[in-house]
Amino acid sequence: MEKVRLKVNKASFPQHIVAGEQLGAGLSLKPEHLNDILALPVELPSTNNNLWFEVHTENYFVAGGPRLNYLRAVRENFDISFHGVGGSLGSDHKAMLAHTKRVKALIDEFQPVLVSEHAVWSKSDGKYFADLMPLPRTQDALESLINGIDCYQTGIGQSILVENPSNYLDFISDMDEPQFLVEAAKRTGCGLLIDINNLYISSKNTGIDALDYLKQIPAELVGEIHIAGHDPDPALGQSLLIDSHAAPVATPVWGLLEQAIEIFGQRPVLVERDANIPSFEELMIERETAQSYLNQSELQSRLNISHKEVVR
Amino acid sequence: MSTNQYIDAFTRYLRTGDPSEMEHFCENPSHIKRLAVYRNGFYKGCVDALIANFPMCEKKVGSENFRKMARLYVDRFPPEQGTLVGYGLSFPGFVTDLIKDGEIENKHILEVTENQQSASNLYMNLVDIAHLDYAWLMSLMSADSTETLTIEYVTQLMEQGTELTELNVKVNSSVLLLSVSEGAFLEWISLKTNNNDGVVTKSSAEDFIMLWRLQGAVQARSLSIAEVALMQALQGTGRSLGEAFDAAITVDEHFEVSDAFTACLQNELLEIQIN
Repeated sequence: MEKVRLKVNKASFPQHIVAGEQLGAGLSLKPEHLNDILALPVELPSTNNNLWFEVHTENYFVAGGPRLNYLRAVRENFDISFHGVGGSLGSDHKAMLAHTKRVKALIDEFQPVLVSEHAVWSKSDGKYFADLMPLPRTQDALESLINGIDCYQTGIGQSILVENPSNYLDFISDMDEPQFLVEAAKRTGCGLLIDINNLYISSKNTGIDALDYLKQIPAELVGEIHIAGHDPDPALGQSLLIDSHAAPVATPVWGLLEQAIEIFGQRPVLVERDANIPSFEELMIERETAQSYLNQSELQSRLNISHKEVVR
Repeated sequence: MSTNQYIDAFTRYLRTGDPSEMEHFCENPSHIKRLAVYRNGFYKGCVDALIANFPMCEKKVGSENFRKMARLYVDRFPPEQGTLVGYGLSFPGFVTDLIKDGEIENKHILEVTENQQSASNLYMNLVDIAHLDYAWLMSLMSADSTETLTIEYVTQLMEQGTELTELNVKVNSSVLLLSVSEGAFLEWISLKTNNNDGVVTKSSAEDFIMLWRLQGAVQARSLSIAEVALMQALQGTGRSLGEAFDAAITVDEHFEVSDAFTACLQNELLEIQIN
């Protein structure tokens, strides 16, 4: 397989860390919340603690109409992030050019502060399987992922963040997931989006140590954090947790988020919700909890700086 | 093990549900049933997209019946692009084949509930309703018009002495024309408006329906034969207003050109063709 050469300027990386400094905790953008969002005060951005919104990029692959108009209305007042779910970085890169052309057109218009995708495969033999399937963590799969990230970044002309998958079972692998993702990031110049809920689910489903996983990720590679709700499998119960995005964030996931912020420092945190959508007020309460973890971390780092100055 | 072998085996599993080929790739063979999470996710995503894209079809046949049809469609026509927006282009044709080949009855795809009169009522007009649903979606997502011909603009042109009949215009990209049975359009409207009085009738009469987007909302109405001639003349690259109205008058000499033109302007159907 011929490797596509990376054309973006690696010297300008990591863009994602720079972007992240201006963001607080964000929310998935849901059309049913549009009126609530547009009614939020925007005169003083600090009143919302740098609230931002994330959308699934491919949902905006439309030529025109109200869907783009409501995104434009939100973008006027808030930062947005594009989170791709259909890029299939790990496989079938033939269709990548057409895909990234559409992503690029959206980026050019909406100027998102972050652009992300998944370290998974979802396309094969010209078909799209509309889910996020994990890759085997082998050298060969790593090359394929690196090739896919390069194609994507070249196509859109900027670096992206790549998200860790939810694992329901283990496939034969040569390396563990942090090694796999860090190597991909180092060789492509991309950053990482650490989904804490995915990590929690993977740890319960496959027995990995979530904290050890986080410690293996260099902080400077992390540009965004996701949290979300999960559900037990209807048949297997708690022995198999499903990444449903249909429930509030679970207590252990909040705990893991706190540890992640401690390890990585302040990063934009997104509260994802894609099903059983509650009222906007309810989601904002979850978002405030995420923001409070960020505020706590900021306070702690200020205290540490003051303490060092006093000691000097 | 190559990545291609893994993805090929995984793909076959997703398509067939037989996990045996994936056994070589699983660390713990007792967990192989967990692969179903990915297959369920694939089907759920596609079926949910079809429900969103064909809402009146789903309403007509009921959720369970529609899901059965949708799963069969996903088996035969999995998505080919990395998005589910607009998924279901072939769905009306697929339903046509299901009915024509008798599969819909032989495989008991549509089960009649107490509230539904008969299976034949369930699939009567179904193909046309699928066409209407998809046309509605395409109109909703079509490109925005940049050179809309408005009443104000026409007034301005008239003040400048422009001969309107020589103006080159075309219908904007949200304007879609389709031919369905008269009964199907009425049923589709009654489903959309939650009007339970709508009677399911099979009419041999064909209705030309126009769908268009006005201020972000899709509109639909049936057209007279002269209006069809007018709109067809203005599709594609368009033509002069004079030629388009001539096409309408040819099929109906009593066609009210001024009324039609005003309606076109009020509904923002036309855009100026820039050569």
